[in-house]
Amino acid sequence: VQPPDKPLQAEEWNRLRESFRSPEIFEEVMFNSMVRCNSPIDVAKSLLTHVAKNNGDVAYNLLVKYLALCVQQGQTSEIRDVYDIMKTRFRILESGAYSLLIRGLSNSDQWRMALPLLEEVKKIMIPSRTNYESCIKAACRHQEMNLACELYHEMLAKDLVPTLDVLQAFFDFSRGTKAAELQKELFGILLYLRENQIYPHRTFMWSIKLWFESIPGGNWRGHLTNIKDSGQCPVCNHQLESSDLTEEEYNNLRERIIKDVIHGTDTFRKTSPQEFEAFQTFVENRLPFDIVIDGLNVSHIKPRKMQCENLFNAVNCLAKENARLLVLGRKHMLINSSNWKREIMKEMQNKADFFFAENISEDDAFLLYATLRSGKHCKFVTRDFLRDHKACLSDSLTRHLFRKWQRGHQIAFSPSSKKILLTVFIQQPAFCYDCVVQTTGDTWHIPYKDTFEEKYSYQVPRKWLCIQQKR
Amino acid sequence: MQSANVLLKKIVRSSVLPFAAQHGMKKDLFLLSRTLSLSLCLKQDNSCNPSEKLDLDAWKKVMKSGLQEEVSEMVSERKELSTVSAAREILEMWRLAGRPVPETLSEEQLKTFMECPSKSAKKKYLKYLHLKELYKKNDKRKTDEKRERRLEMQEQASKPDETKRNSFMCLWASTMDRAYSWRVAQSMIFGQPLVFDMSYEKDMSAREVANAVKQIVLGEGFNRRSVDPFHIHFCNFKDDSLYNKEFIKHYKEAWGRLLITVTDQCYTEVFPKDKLIYLTADSPKVMKTFDHDKIYIVGSMVDKSIKTGVSLARAKRLGLETAALPLEKYLLWNSGAKNLTLDQMMCILLTLKDTGDWKKALEFVPKRKYYGFVNKPVHELKKTLNLINMLKLGKRQEEVQKQFAKNYSKKLMQK
Repeated sequence: VQPPDKPLQAEEWNRLRESFRSPEIFEEVMFNSMVRCNSPIDVAKSLLTHVAKNNGDVAYNLLVKYLALCVQQGQTSEIRDVYDIMKTRFRILESGAYSLLIRGLSNSDQWRMALPLLEEVKKIMIPSRTNYESCIKAACRHQEMNLACELYHEMLAKDLVPTLDVLQAFFDFSRGTKAAELQKELFGILLYLRENQIYPHRTFMWSIKLWFESIPGGNWRGHLTNIKDSGQCPVCNHQLESSDLTEEEYNNLRERIIKDVIHGTDTFRKTSPQEFEAFQTFVENRLPFDIVIDGLNVSHIKPRKMQCENLFNAVNCLAKENARLLVLGRKHMLINSSNWKREIMKEMQNKADFFFAENISEDDAFLLYATLRSGKHCKFVTRDFLRDHKACLSDSLTRHLFRKWQRGHQIAFSPSSKKILLTVFIQQPAFCYDCVVQTTGDTWHIPYKDTFEEKYSYQVPRKWLCIQQKR
Repeated sequence: MQSANVLLKKIVRSSVLPFAAQHGMKKDLFLLSRTLSLSLCLKQDNSCNPSEKLDLDAWKKVMKSGLQEEVSEMVSERKELSTVSAAREILEMWRLAGRPVPETLSEEQLKTFMECPSKSAKKKYLKYLHLKELYKKNDKRKTDEKRERRLEMQEQASKPDETKRNSFMCLWASTMDRAYSWRVAQSMIFGQPLVFDMSYEKDMSAREVANAVKQIVLGEGFNRRSVDPFHIHFCNFKDDSLYNKEFIKHYKEAWGRLLITVTDQCYTEVFPKDKLIYLTADSPKVMKTFDHDKIYIVGSMVDKSIKTGVSLARAKRLGLETAALPLEKYLLWNSGAKNLTLDQMMCILLTLKDTGDWKKALEFVPKRKYYGFVNKPVHELKKTLNLINMLKLGKRQEEVQKQFAKNYSKKLMQK
């Protein structure tokens, strides 16, 4: 239905209602379309008046919809009126109405009224992150930075993930600040980005840059740059953090892979205890390997070629550098068939160690184990993103570790026309540096996403903001 | 007027008047006050505005006027709000806001609601209850209508009853029951065993267990009515399990008289290992024929949160043979998981046992999951597939068609 463009008299509403095919929900449908078309609130008021005179009451859902319209148009006095009416009429409100009220009021000059509302929400449930967002942004806008910080910490304590908009607001509205407390707070936000491997987008990055440069007496200068493959920043010649895990992280990751990925709830789901034990002794006797290859994955690189031929090429290509190779496969590869020729398999076994798992076992889990057991220098070859194995890890911290380790240790073949080229995982050069927000005290390096480029979880941004302090 | 109203209310509240009268009067008084205030508003409108102009804020006056007295009451009550009643109040507000929320909630349901770990879990649970309530209401409405119709019919046909002469007494239901029971009893002595593995309770949520039991109950019904029933075994069945609770909920006192074997032993203890075959969709082996000498095991598990390989792991641990239904071989699969419900498994196995005909048996696979049977002539299949693709994908049909043709020829070659 098309809402009218000017207020109507009662009879006119009646006529419209009669002509609608289901008159019971006429008001609801009409209000919905008013919100959609952003009709003038006078029209909505005339409908409310009509409803009120007919029924002596206005239903809650209509009030909420009217409220949505008012919030959409920033009609502060109307929002307050509706709130007064709701408060007298109902003991508590539900989350939808509270969110609308908080959003409407925090965008106005009466933003302080949103705070008691937030308190009220807290009494009945955990406020949503957008509730906090509205309040924090309003506080920032009015330079109440202490209040904003307080709300921000409260939000983190409730395990809510702040939106990037909230974080950006802090930087936008603290330009030129001298307060040491606030500066500490903002550095804290940057560390929050680091810990959770969050990358700011372009406009957020600008806010950060402008804030740094506005610190009085700080002498900070920011430059946009690309980091060299060696991990050196071309602007300040600083070497970025290495992508290697620490000893503790590495051991932790290895234990968690064994516990969560290989054993999981039931060792029999991916392998069997006997097989895993056999594999463990096999690996212990031949340690350490330099490269571990997922045989079946590699054998499918070129679909036109025989599978063992693909694998043969890959092994030859990697064996040249005198590296110790381990190829993981399944038992069916040993049976002479059109895809797996016995002679070629024999020849390969001279160049690399082979382990054949049962046909119904998962070889990926073995791949991870063998690579981690061999040590930090060891890399592995597969095109698989290993997302399902990452998902088996039970906490996000270990998942981040896994991603970091994967970035630094996974090699992927991509087929080229003539010969197999050795390229490292997804168009990215071997990452010897780690792609996170990082600092040395007088420099900050912040990777950021260009708004236009699409980013998958396995991709990391290539662009950086380098900030250094000139003394 | 208003002061008089308040006075009257005070008298009412002091409960001088009996309870019933109190209720009746309260309502009447409210109506009175409301209409009075309304008419006041209207009069004002007419006096200060020319008849054409609308008072746009009139609704606010209406909302505020009728309710002033109630508020004072509410404020005094506000203090004593326990968490339970607070939850009820939130639900009521959600319902007013038009969210899918049931009208009535039992104490137990409210408790489950409050124990839901997240907002989305709460929403989901409420929606489930809401739909359940709707279905129940509809069913009730339908049975009521039916009953009325029947009564009408009876009134119309209430002529002096001519007793119909018939050589059989009209005892269909119980006679059939007895006949079925005989058959099942026979199968318990001579029949082929079929095992339900009841050891998956810890892999399932309470809802999933309830669904699994529902499916088994359905399956048991099909088995009972079949010509040559299986001898059903529930193995690994613990008396203190959720399964047991749910079964009792379904069967009531009939649970004790059910003609099946229930044991807490494992199937490997009851039967020789080399005769057992574990049916699981994850199995690498595909079932070719139904073997009348083997004992098939079905895992009683409903798996809504895709846990692959759980039943395969169980079979592996015990070193049992496994098999999957040849769904790929006989059906052109469309979408959906390859694991079937327990009652569908039962129907398929019963049909296989009776006829050995895969086509007939696989009729029980839900139609939405496949396009058609593979043994139709190829051009006919292509025709239907074209149509489906045209409807489904619009322009992309040609590519899909080509791909299908390729896949299909490959499939033929492999055979």
